[in-house]
Amino acid sequence: MNDVAQAVRLARVDLTLVFRNRTAFVNAVLLPLLIAGALASNGVGGGTAGIPATQYVMTGMMAFILIFATFMNLAGFYTSRREEMVLKRLLGGPATRTAILSGSALGATAVYLGQVVILCALMSAVMGTGAPADVPLLLLAALLGAAFFSLLAMAVSGLSSTGEMAQIATLPVVLLLVGGSPVMLPPEMLPQALRTAIEFLPMTPIVEIMRTAYLGLNYIGAGHEPLGALERWGAALPSLGLLAVWIAVAALLARAFFRWDPRRG
Amino acid sequence: MTTDVRETAVGLDLAIAATELRQRYGEFEAVRGVSLTVRTGELFALLGTNGAGKTTTMEVLEGYRPATSGTVEVLGMDPYRRRRALSPRVGIMLQENGLLSDLTVAETIGLWRDLHANPRSLDESLELAGLADKARVRVRQLSGGQKRRLDLVLSVIGRPEVLFLDEPTTGMDPEARRATWSLIRELVTEGTTILLTTHYLEEAEHLASRLAVMHEGEIRVEGTLEEVVGGHGDRVSFRLPPEIPLDTLPLIGGHAPGVSLAGGTPVVTYTIADGDQATRAHAALVPLFAWAAERGVTLERLAVRTASLEDVFHSVVKESA
Repeated sequence: MNDVAQAVRLARVDLTLVFRNRTAFVNAVLLPLLIAGALASNGVGGGTAGIPATQYVMTGMMAFILIFATFMNLAGFYTSRREEMVLKRLLGGPATRTAILSGSALGATAVYLGQVVILCALMSAVMGTGAPADVPLLLLAALLGAAFFSLLAMAVSGLSSTGEMAQIATLPVVLLLVGGSPVMLPPEMLPQALRTAIEFLPMTPIVEIMRTAYLGLNYIGAGHEPLGALERWGAALPSLGLLAVWIAVAALLARAFFRWDPRRG
Repeated sequence: MTTDVRETAVGLDLAIAATELRQRYGEFEAVRGVSLTVRTGELFALLGTNGAGKTTTMEVLEGYRPATSGTVEVLGMDPYRRRRALSPRVGIMLQENGLLSDLTVAETIGLWRDLHANPRSLDESLELAGLADKARVRVRQLSGGQKRRLDLVLSVIGRPEVLFLDEPTTGMDPEARRATWSLIRELVTEGTTILLTTHYLEEAEHLASRLAVMHEGEIRVEGTLEEVVGGHGDRVSFRLPPEIPLDTLPLIGGHAPGVSLAGGTPVVTYTIADGDQATRAHAALVPLFAWAAERGVTLERLAVRTASLEDVFHSVVKESA
């Protein structure tokens, strides 16, 4: 079996376990859908940045829910498995380091993509927003976002001694990244100094590309004008570049902090 | 114990070789110059107290970490740098199970089968693990011994040529231990080379063709069971006759006896370590009987035995205490 086949096989195990472990199921699968569902059904009144506020928030939610399956729960999984010697045991078999780590990340990504599909269905069928304008761009942003948070989860797990500690350790990062991004509020509503800072934080490009890809309007710039297919990708290019830089940073952090041996003993 | 491995390797098929292996963690040197060789098809047992450096030695040989200094080879390759090439040919069972407790037994075996190119079948694996009736049971519901047995089977699912077993029977009841021993013997019969660590001297006596005792990061004694035990002398013991004062006991082969209390009775023990292994016990008894006849005493509970592995183990640990 090559690395990819091994990773896919291990991802299948992780998917089974997410649905079998009650805490993981609630944290990674149920909670993000409940939050998004609650926001959608309560309806956020009024308009934001030229569109109904609900559409703005729901497209933000698509990026926001990355923090559940691919960050908080994944950091917990990596940590508890390391402490229970599962990672080391697997490493003693034919699976490579890359396959073991990306297997769990792939499982988490599958959960996340499933949630994105549910949100898309909710928006187009129930909220009448219509189908996503640019599925490939939406998918690319989702995958890059999942890669960024999975790598960050590896770094956090290396610094935590139990699965629970790892989940707690993700919270300040989550607050910073979600607070520092246009998930809920348009950047136009913030003071200029803060806006400039937020533009460079990793959640911003993910949210902006996904919102632009779904609605077909330019949410990367301030214009919000309708964009054609080529224009969308053109507008997204700088954001994709920024995201690539953040993925490289997260990879370096993962390399520096992730560990295979338990912290205890 | 500093023979050059390559020299020994001439004409011998070595599966595992370590030469002057040292492993340091910060200030602490856990392994201090260990050299050992395991021939193809052999079961080699590594004994020692906790913290003797057994597991660290195993982890270097398993390829988990590079040696601080010295060389190690498994199937002729550096286990750390050639991990990818070696992993399909090597089986590893760690001291702790590391099983996913929410999977069932069959799912666990299924995962490991899929990761290997040419695995044993599910049925054979369940059979080897003695868990044929537990296929659908979650791993967390197994007993400690059952988990250990499942873990052992996972490590041989890919039919490895070399197998590392770190305390494979810890936590097993005597019945499960016997069953595991017979599984391990079966693996040796199949031609698997095994390096095993254990706390149970009995386990090494039953399974090992060669063994070594480690203490404080060094190998103190090494060889076949016969060699190791033979090097520690034969024991001649009897009850101290009440009418004989201690200081009038004879020297045998120039050695004074040791006296210990067994059930309130003083017992005299001579350790006969000099001379030809095959005849030295007999040679020691001749002057002893002559002395007894001269004094007109009977040597009650007279016993002659070779040293046990336990004697060897304790003398190794005591030497450095």
